[in-house]
Amino acid sequence: MNILVCIKQVPDMESKFRIDASAAWFDTADLAWRMNEYDEYGVEQAVRLKEQVAGADITVLSIGPDKVKETMKKALAMGCDRGVHITDSDVSRRDPAEIAGIIAEYARDKNFDMIFTGMQSQDRGSGQVGVLLAEMLSCAAVTTIVDFSYREGRIEVKRELEGGIRASVALNIPALVTCQLGLNKPRYPTLPNIMKAKKKELLSLPVEDLRKLESRQQTARIYFPEKKGGGLVLEGDPARLADELIQILKQKTSILA
Amino acid sequence: MTEKILRGGEYLICDIPCADVFTPEDFSDEQKQFGETTERFVTNEIVPHLDEIDKQNFDLVVEGMQKCGELGLLMMDAPEEYGGLELDKASSMLVAEKISAGGSFSVAYAAHTGIGTLPLVYYGTPGQKDKYLEKIISGQWCAAYCLTEPGSGSDALGAQASALLSEDGTHYLLNGTKQYITNGGFAQLFTVFAKIDKEHFTAFLVEKDFEGLTVGPEEKKMGIKGSSTTPIILDNCRVPVENVLGEIGKGHKIAFNVLNVGRFKLGAAVMGASKVALVTGIKYANERVQFKQKISSFGAIKEKIADLTADIYASESLVYRLAGLLDTKLATIEKGGDNYYAAYQKGIEEYAAECGISKVFCSEVLARTVDEVVQIHGGYGYVSDYPAERYYRDERINRIFEGTNEINRLLIPGMILRKAMKGELPLQAEAMKAFEALMTPSFDAVDEAIDFAAEKALLKNLKTLFLILAGTGVQKFMDKIADEQEILMAAADIAIQIFALESTVLRAEKTLSAFSERKQELLRAAVKVFAFRASEEAGSAARKGAFYVEEGDTLTMILSGVRRFSKFDATGLLAAKRLLAEASCEEEKYLFN
Repeated sequence: MNILVCIKQVPDMESKFRIDASAAWFDTADLAWRMNEYDEYGVEQAVRLKEQVAGADITVLSIGPDKVKETMKKALAMGCDRGVHITDSDVSRRDPAEIAGIIAEYARDKNFDMIFTGMQSQDRGSGQVGVLLAEMLSCAAVTTIVDFSYREGRIEVKRELEGGIRASVALNIPALVTCQLGLNKPRYPTLPNIMKAKKKELLSLPVEDLRKLESRQQTARIYFPEKKGGGLVLEGDPARLADELIQILKQKTSILA
Repeated sequence: MTEKILRGGEYLICDIPCADVFTPEDFSDEQKQFGETTERFVTNEIVPHLDEIDKQNFDLVVEGMQKCGELGLLMMDAPEEYGGLELDKASSMLVAEKISAGGSFSVAYAAHTGIGTLPLVYYGTPGQKDKYLEKIISGQWCAAYCLTEPGSGSDALGAQASALLSEDGTHYLLNGTKQYITNGGFAQLFTVFAKIDKEHFTAFLVEKDFEGLTVGPEEKKMGIKGSSTTPIILDNCRVPVENVLGEIGKGHKIAFNVLNVGRFKLGAAVMGASKVALVTGIKYANERVQFKQKISSFGAIKEKIADLTADIYASESLVYRLAGLLDTKLATIEKGGDNYYAAYQKGIEEYAAECGISKVFCSEVLARTVDEVVQIHGGYGYVSDYPAERYYRDERINRIFEGTNEINRLLIPGMILRKAMKGELPLQAEAMKAFEALMTPSFDAVDEAIDFAAEKALLKNLKTLFLILAGTGVQKFMDKIADEQEILMAAADIAIQIFALESTVLRAEKTLSAFSERKQELLRAAVKVFAFRASEEAGSAARKGAFYVEEGDTLTMILSGVRRFSKFDATGLLAAKRLLAEASCEEEKYLFN
């Protein structure tokens, strides 16, 4: 079985974000970088599938500058077999279709039986790349899965719906799934596996060779929403507080009108 | 890196280019992953159970150690042929740093991987390693080290425990009581020191189930309550002769060499604990409102946060610089030879003074950190509902174990002077130059165009100051200097500050250009804040030392030298502290991770 996992390197979400000079993205200076959390569920599920299916082989793919290799090495240490790094210094400016197009161009002739992606990235959060990629490769896609099992060419997944409902979906491979929190608990790469990963293949391909699609949308600007007015704390004698509150509600709201 | 490898203690007498120091910014992708795996493991698997662990639920500790074994966190220093990884020191320091968030658990971890495992790794025969090493590095067995006795702590060689060969020559019979044994309650393998025929100090590998070994009751401790600390009672304990570790009568080598690594590693661990405490303090300062303002907006609190941040940056710079020194040195030793571990030990011993510095400096930074973090919490810092109280209690032992800070302070100039006497360091010639400098007025202007020019000038001057004081002391007391502990302690304080400041300045200089302008400003601020402290501490120690050593005109002259050589122009110090504090509070983290 031939498995592809697509991962993205994102900033540590506890970072202090600043808007960059272009105002179309955040300033990436001095940030710490991690694997997108949802992609980590994808890597873990792919490795579990490999452990179940003898002879399975996992390719992990990521697009970005050289430093994304650091994150790819983690995926390799978790159990992926080989890495494909698509070198691209402009990745943060690309729209979801462009990204999906680049991956599709790479994956088209590789006969992947299963593709795992995160349900969205923690920084851009479009949630589109997985489904667009499936469409471009003409395979079925199921989004936001929280459970996965495989048996004899078929997968069965569970999706989380609103209101505490779950949907169970069954389909044939080849298929693409986008992974949601709750799917699994990603393993910590062990120290011996981190060392072994150093010897795994990590191929670099220039993005220019794979980018056939133009972008369809541009982010005009990113910004911090304006702060809403702060709360008001009333202090003093309860009886007078009640009067004060009624006055405020009358003047500033329509509740008592 | 230049070709030349810096000798131990040599930092006191030469200029070192910043390219030569290893910094945390130099970590490889793999090393970063070791750190991440450890951090995640501790955050998710240990920290949630810390309250329970501190109630001495040792099953959780043993379970945690087994998980460490599965992750490979116990095999870093073990040789590859026995399933280990033989990783560099920078990697094992990073793991020690990250483990430290695990409070009492990290003490069990440190004892196991350090004094518990290393004697076997360094001195074990192939047969002994075959028998025990896999169990130890997989976490199947926990390990402990039994040196201290009720009557011998710092004076380790004064041990009373005895070993007597059995009549049939197959066993030694061990008798005595070992005290304050970390992991005592659940360890399966003990490295026990005892004197054969009351004379030959020797190490033995003792299994828990050997006849005659009893584990005593848990000590009731001030802090690190979740680590097991017990006496080990040996009553005609039967140890097979093949379990003698190393050479008979050479146990002191094992005892002391293992402590060098332990001290260095403790430096890394307490530095990690400092970071955890600092972040707790910052977060609390941002939450707590008094006079309708967050207390983090008050200068009195900001100053604490800035000082601690700068101190921790210094600790971190020092620890990893030392890791780099050791790794560079150890990389020159050919692996696999018969004398590999003997050469390896010598390589580490080369930096015994720096290992002591790491222990003393970093543990004292942690002491200041937990003290101020309790203070930031006010009354809430004094109650056990908040972690600050535990940090405060847990901290105290770090200035006591692995050699008290006093023993270490004595060791630092002791080691350096010994090297000078052996002709390994041209200390005397350099001291002469320093005296000449003292006699001649200096018109050296600080070149502001150079990064960290003022700090570098201070560093150079502090080295001169150390040489003047040490030189005066040696001249006056000659080989009796060892009896003048107060003077040695003062000299140690100057040597410690120099190493810390130098590590700080060189790291900042080496990494500066890779950062954004904003971060560069923060870095400059941290260096300035720390340099100011170093100038004050070294100056104060030197002044004290001068009064101890000299009197009359010579004293007057040395005191003028102290003023001159500890001078530091810290213009902009307040702005630097505010900048550091405000950025720390905005990001709610230690700024230089």
